[in-house]
Amino acid sequence: MMSNSNYKFDWNVIEKYWPEILKGLIITIQISLAGMAFSILLGICLANGKLSNNLLIVRISSSITELFRSIPLFVLLFWIYYGFSLKFNFALTEFEAGVLALGITGGAYMAEVFRAGLLAVPIGQLEAAYAIGLSKMQSSMFIIFPQAIRIIIPPMVNIYIGLLKGATIVSVIGVSDMIYVARYVSLETFAPFELYSLVGIIFISLTLSISGFVYLLERKLGRSKVDG
Amino acid sequence: MNRTTESYIEIINLSKSFGSHKVLDNINLTVNRGEVVAIIGPSGSGKSTLLRCLNFLTRSESGEIKFQNRSWSLNSEGKRYKGKKYEKSLSELRSEVGMVFQNFNVFPHKTAVQNVELGLIKVRKMTKNSAREIAIKKLEQVGLGDKINQYPDKLSGGQKQRVAIARALALEPRVMLFDEVTSSLDPELVGGILEEIRRLANTGITMLVVTHEMGFAFQVAHRIVFMDSGKIVEVGTPDEIRNSQEPRTRAFLSAIL
Amino acid sequence: MGNSKSFFEFEAVVSSWDILLKGFAVAMFAATLATALAIILGLVVALMRLSTVAIYRWIAFAFTQFFRGVPLYVLLVWVYFGLAIAVNINLSAILAGVITLALLNAGYLSETFRSGILAIDSGQIEAGLALGLSKQVVFKEIVLPQAFRIVIPPMGNQYVDAIKDSAILSIIGVPELMRESQQLANLYYQPFEFYTCAGLLYLIAVVLVSRGTNKLEKRFYTHSAQN
Repeated sequence: MMSNSNYKFDWNVIEKYWPEILKGLIITIQISLAGMAFSILLGICLANGKLSNNLLIVRISSSITELFRSIPLFVLLFWIYYGFSLKFNFALTEFEAGVLALGITGGAYMAEVFRAGLLAVPIGQLEAAYAIGLSKMQSSMFIIFPQAIRIIIPPMVNIYIGLLKGATIVSVIGVSDMIYVARYVSLETFAPFELYSLVGIIFISLTLSISGFVYLLERKLGRSKVDG
Repeated sequence: MNRTTESYIEIINLSKSFGSHKVLDNINLTVNRGEVVAIIGPSGSGKSTLLRCLNFLTRSESGEIKFQNRSWSLNSEGKRYKGKKYEKSLSELRSEVGMVFQNFNVFPHKTAVQNVELGLIKVRKMTKNSAREIAIKKLEQVGLGDKINQYPDKLSGGQKQRVAIARALALEPRVMLFDEVTSSLDPELVGGILEEIRRLANTGITMLVVTHEMGFAFQVAHRIVFMDSGKIVEVGTPDEIRNSQEPRTRAFLSAIL
Repeated sequence: MGNSKSFFEFEAVVSSWDILLKGFAVAMFAATLATALAIILGLVVALMRLSTVAIYRWIAFAFTQFFRGVPLYVLLVWVYFGLAIAVNINLSAILAGVITLALLNAGYLSETFRSGILAIDSGQIEAGLALGLSKQVVFKEIVLPQAFRIVIPPMGNQYVDAIKDSAILSIIGVPELMRESQQLANLYYQPFEFYTCAGLLYLIAVVLVSRGTNKLEKRFYTHSAQN
C-alpha cells in the first residue's frame, strides 16, 4: 500500500495561490455567518414554540427540531438545491441554498440552547418584572434576555464552529468557497496535498482561536456571575 | 479480650502539609495488638488525615509508619520508598488493613454481595463460589442476609455502611480503620452502626476509630487520643482523659459533652 | 405509469429500492465501524491525557485539538487525494472514509471519556485501593463501569453524528446512501423524490439509535445511582 516516495512539499503552489484560497475563505466565512443569523432566528422561533402554553405548538416545534437535527446537512443541501427548488420552481442561488441548509441545521441546535438558557433564569425574575409593571415583551427584553445571554453565548459559539466546519461542504453545489478553490487549483497544479494541507491549517487555526475565545469568555462570564 | 502489650503499629514523627497548612505535626503513637484506640478532637484537627496515612491513601512527607516492626515508609537505608514496585506492594498492606469511610463509598454498580466479594476474588484470588459463600456469611453477620442481591441505591444509609463494613471484614484484616463512619447517617441509624463496631471491638481485632460520638468512644476504646491543630495533645485511658487537667482537652470535652 | 403524471413520482424510488437499501447498509456499516474504532481510539487518547507522563498528555491533547478542529470534508479529501499523492498511500474510498470518520469521532469521544472518568467520585477509587485492589483493577472494576453509564448519552450522540456525517463520504465515491441517491436522482431526473427518500432513511436510523441509547441508559441507570 505504501511505497517509498521522495515527495517534496511544493511551497510554490502555496505561494502562488494563497490569495485565491483566502478569497475562498471569505466566502466560507460569509456563508457561515449568514447561516448563523438564520439559525438564530429559527432557533428563537422554535424555542418559543417549545415553551408555548399550547400543547399543539409544543408538539409541532419539538417535531420540527427533531427532524432538522436528524437530517444530515449534506442531504439537506442537495434536497434544497436540487430537489426542492426544482420541484417547486423556486430558483435559489448556490449561496442561498447553502445558507438555508446551514441555517436549518444550526437552528435546530440553537432551539435547544435558547430553551435551556431561558429556562435557566429563575421564575422569580419574571414575577418581579411583572410586579413592577413591565409588560411581557419588556420583561423578556430587559430582564430575562440579558440574564439568559451569558448561558447562551458559549454553546452558541460552539454551534457556530460547527456551522463553519459544515460550510466546507457547500462547494459540492458550486459555491466558490475555500474548498472549491483548493479543488480547482489542485486540478490545475496536481498538488492536492499542499492545498488541502493549507486549507486544513487555516481551519484548525480558525476553530482553535474561536474555541479559545469561548474558553476565556466562559471564564469571564462565570466570574461576573459570581460577582453579581 | 486478648489485648497484648506487643507494639503492633508504630507511627514515628509523622508530618503532613497541604500547601502551607500543617495538617499533621510530628505525630508519635504506638498501638498494641488487639487494642481499640479512639481518636477525637475538633474538626480539622487532622484525625482523618492521620487515619488515611495509615493505609497510605494520604502520603506523609516525613516520618515513618511501621506494622509489626516492618517499615512501610523507609527502606533499610532510611530512604523513602517510592516507585511502581512500592505502589504495588502497598496492596499487600491495604488488604490487611480494612477501612470504612464517612461517605460509605460502596460501589453503586455492584450488588451488596458483589461489593463484598470483589476483594476476595481480586486480592485473595478466591474462586467465585467460595468468595460468594464468605460474602454472604459476612453480610448475614451485619444483618443484611436478606439484602445480598440489592443494589446500593435500594439500601438506606445505615445498610450501605453495613455493606462497607462487611466488605472490609471479608478480607479478615488485622487492623480496622473507621473514619467518622456515622457522620453521614440519619440520627436514628447511628446506634445500629455503633453497635456493629462495638461487637467488632470485642473480637480482639486492632482498631482505630475516628469519631464524634464521645459516649461511644469512652465506652469502647481502651485508649483515647485527643488531637488538636495537627498535634496529639494527649493520649490516655478513657478515665485519664475524662479527668484530664490539660486545658484544651477540658475545653473540648466540656463543649461537646 | 399511465399517461397522467402526478406531481410526486415515487415509482422510480420504489423500483430502485434495493439499490437504496444497499447504500443505506453501506452507510450504516461505515458509521458503525468508524464509531467502534473511535471508541477504542478515544479511550486510549483519554487515558493518555490522564497519564502522569507529560509527553503522553501532550500527544493526546494535540490529537484532540487537531481532530476536533478540522472539518470532515477537508480531512477526507486530504487523506484520500492528498496523502495518495504525497506519500503514495492508496486507500480504497471506503477505508479512507472510515478512517477519517473514526479519527474525527475519536477526537470528540476522548474528551467525553476523559470527563466521564474524572466525574467518578475519588472516594470510589480510595475504597477500592483500601481493599488492596491494584490501580488497574480499580480502574477496570470500579471506574470504567461507572464512567460508562455517564458516557452512554454522548456516545449515542456521537454515533448519530457519524451516521449523518457518513453522507459526506459520497464525495470520494463510497457507494453509500447519498451517493446512490445522487446517481439515481440524475438517472431519473427526480432529485426531490430521491433526496426526500434518503433524508427519511437517515431520519429513521437516527431516531432508532437515539431510542436505543435512551433504553441503554435507563437500564444502566438503576444499577448505578451514586451513593
